[in-house]
Amino acid sequence: MSYQAAVKDVSYCYDGSFQGFLCCVFESFSQKEIPAAVLPPAEGQTSLFPQRDIPTRPDLARRVAAGLERLGPSVRERVTTGFLADEPGKELTLLRFARLCFERGPSAARMLGDADVSAAFALERAVNNEGCKYIEFLRFEQRGTMLGTIIHPRHNVLPLLRGHFCSRLPDEDFMIFDATHGVALLRRSGKVCYMQMKQYTPAPDPAEEDWQALWKRFFHALTIEERRNTACQQNHVPKRYWQDMCEMQPDQGT
Amino acid sequence: MELMDKLEILADAAKYDAACTSSGLDRAGRPGTTGNTTFAGCCHTFSADGRCVSLLKVLMTNVCAYDCAYCVNRRSNDVPRAAFTPRELCELTMGFYRRNYIEGLFLSSAVLLDPDYTTERMVEALRLLREEYRFGGYIHAKAIPGADPQLVERLGLLADRLSVNIELPSETSLSRLAPDKHKAGILRPMGQIAQRTAQSRRELAVYRHAPAFAPAGQSTQMIIGATPETDLHILRLTEGLYRKYSLKRVFFSAYLPVVPDPRLPAVTAKPPLLREHRLYQADWLLRFYQFSAAEILNEEEPNFDPYLDPKCNWALRHPEFFPVEVNTATKAQLLRVPGIGPKSVQRILIARRQQHLGMDELKRIGVVLKRARYFITCNGKAPVRGTRAEVAAALLDPNAFGVGMRQLSLDDFLPTALPGAAPLVHQLADSGMDAREAARIARQEALTCLTKRL
Repeated sequence: MSYQAAVKDVSYCYDGSFQGFLCCVFESFSQKEIPAAVLPPAEGQTSLFPQRDIPTRPDLARRVAAGLERLGPSVRERVTTGFLADEPGKELTLLRFARLCFERGPSAARMLGDADVSAAFALERAVNNEGCKYIEFLRFEQRGTMLGTIIHPRHNVLPLLRGHFCSRLPDEDFMIFDATHGVALLRRSGKVCYMQMKQYTPAPDPAEEDWQALWKRFFHALTIEERRNTACQQNHVPKRYWQDMCEMQPDQGT
Repeated sequence: MELMDKLEILADAAKYDAACTSSGLDRAGRPGTTGNTTFAGCCHTFSADGRCVSLLKVLMTNVCAYDCAYCVNRRSNDVPRAAFTPRELCELTMGFYRRNYIEGLFLSSAVLLDPDYTTERMVEALRLLREEYRFGGYIHAKAIPGADPQLVERLGLLADRLSVNIELPSETSLSRLAPDKHKAGILRPMGQIAQRTAQSRRELAVYRHAPAFAPAGQSTQMIIGATPETDLHILRLTEGLYRKYSLKRVFFSAYLPVVPDPRLPAVTAKPPLLREHRLYQADWLLRFYQFSAAEILNEEEPNFDPYLDPKCNWALRHPEFFPVEVNTATKAQLLRVPGIGPKSVQRILIARRQQHLGMDELKRIGVVLKRARYFITCNGKAPVRGTRAEVAAALLDPNAFGVGMRQLSLDDFLPTALPGAAPLVHQLADSGMDAREAARIARQEALTCLTKRL
């Protein structure tokens, strides 16, 4: 592929935002090169290659975003969803994918046999899968007039949960706190916002504990002992989700 | 009686119902209501037996007038009895739903007094839930055979999915084990639901505010292993049900012996879970792989092979069909390759319009090649040449030889055959052999047999 030849020994440093990433794509175009690495600020020191700081400029970011928009929803979704992944190297994967799509047109998104495309596809799938898992496994607790919950996702899945829960609970206020990334999704009187938060430690509430006990009782009553198969259970609900699910916690003392 | 005890009794009584799906309907939430539904459904948790918990699956009551031999709730069985009031049920559903524990309600009931009275109580509970509590989530209701058609109609207008249990795979078995139920009584509401759902779909196409009757369709379930029917019989019945009543799903439930009864398998018998698994695999072949029942099983081979899944078995019986060229084969041909499912097929079809597919590309696409590589060619070349023993080893279903560890105490583990392992493994393990050894012997034997067959 022609663009393979353009790989240069340089690493881009950007500010970690999506806009910043789009500016990296712009830079790669204007310099007619593909960087060897794209580094968010936290990993700034780890590269072997000479570094170039890419300033975030909203006007350039908008131009690239419009370009992605022109390539159709499947390309745009793959880049935006893939960017939610919390994985080192995601920026380079998505940058190479975006360059390929700009070169080949929207149909490049369907070249699943290509290494760059399949890597970007894998990123998108990992994020979407985790989003779906949290739609299923998240457990709200009633806190005053609000519903609240704490989750520990690997990726930044909050934007994927937003639409589902707003549709599911149209008249409720709720908050989902992503403890891994320190971000909370807050919905209050029909308005949604994201907030930076350090921690969220709700006080124990007896009424809520009764509901959880009821749910746990129901959950245990459903098990058919003769069919017990915990390996199968763990395949469906990997253990890392258990910390956020009240029915998976061992019974307290009594 | 406290609500918690009631919930436990009535959930325990409902747990043998296999259906716990919330799929088949997309409905967005609206202001003033609570809840939405998604087409793919949503499993909120999985119980320790590995089954999905999607709905609040309970009985309205487990007080039953019938005496079906296979059922835990039959009137001659001595179990604690309870009944929900409609309001209790609504409060529970809403409380669980808001906390994202469940996707909706699965309401079934034992026959209290007679089918009409039972259905009336269910209708009342669902009406309260929909109209007063403004619940917009998923509702799956059981239609009770023998209930008045008008009551079934009302039930269907409130619920998203209806189901009528066909209970047993043949009329003779039904009259022997469930003297109060009749084939005609079961099939009549099924026909009514199929006809009304189709009618309502036509009406909705004309006028979008037309009342929706069971918009997510209907399903049914039957008990496997309590009666002597062959797998071929069951599969033909299943296919017939899909065609005639346009069912969304047919569920199979492996029979768990509860009481000694001369008409039923001995109490010590293990539930035929592997057989159930094979039936589900065949059911998938019918629904997603364009197979027909006659292709999967036939009169000479009326039961499933415990060690091979039905698709592999078909492939072995039809060597003339293979190899399939990945770059040019039709969708139907690709679907017949062991190890390639509808998702992989979809990705192959999309990807091959852009580029030629070789082994590396297939791997990147995410196609699982363990079994498939012996049945395909890429650009005219076979990816591998396996010996017969290698091919046989790849094709054997590892589920049939599943061995898990059971924890006896803190640091004492005992290998035990998993519930879904082949009957031979269970037999050997029960006779005192180490379960791992039993699984090894069974696998060796199956491998030798299969290698000879190839």
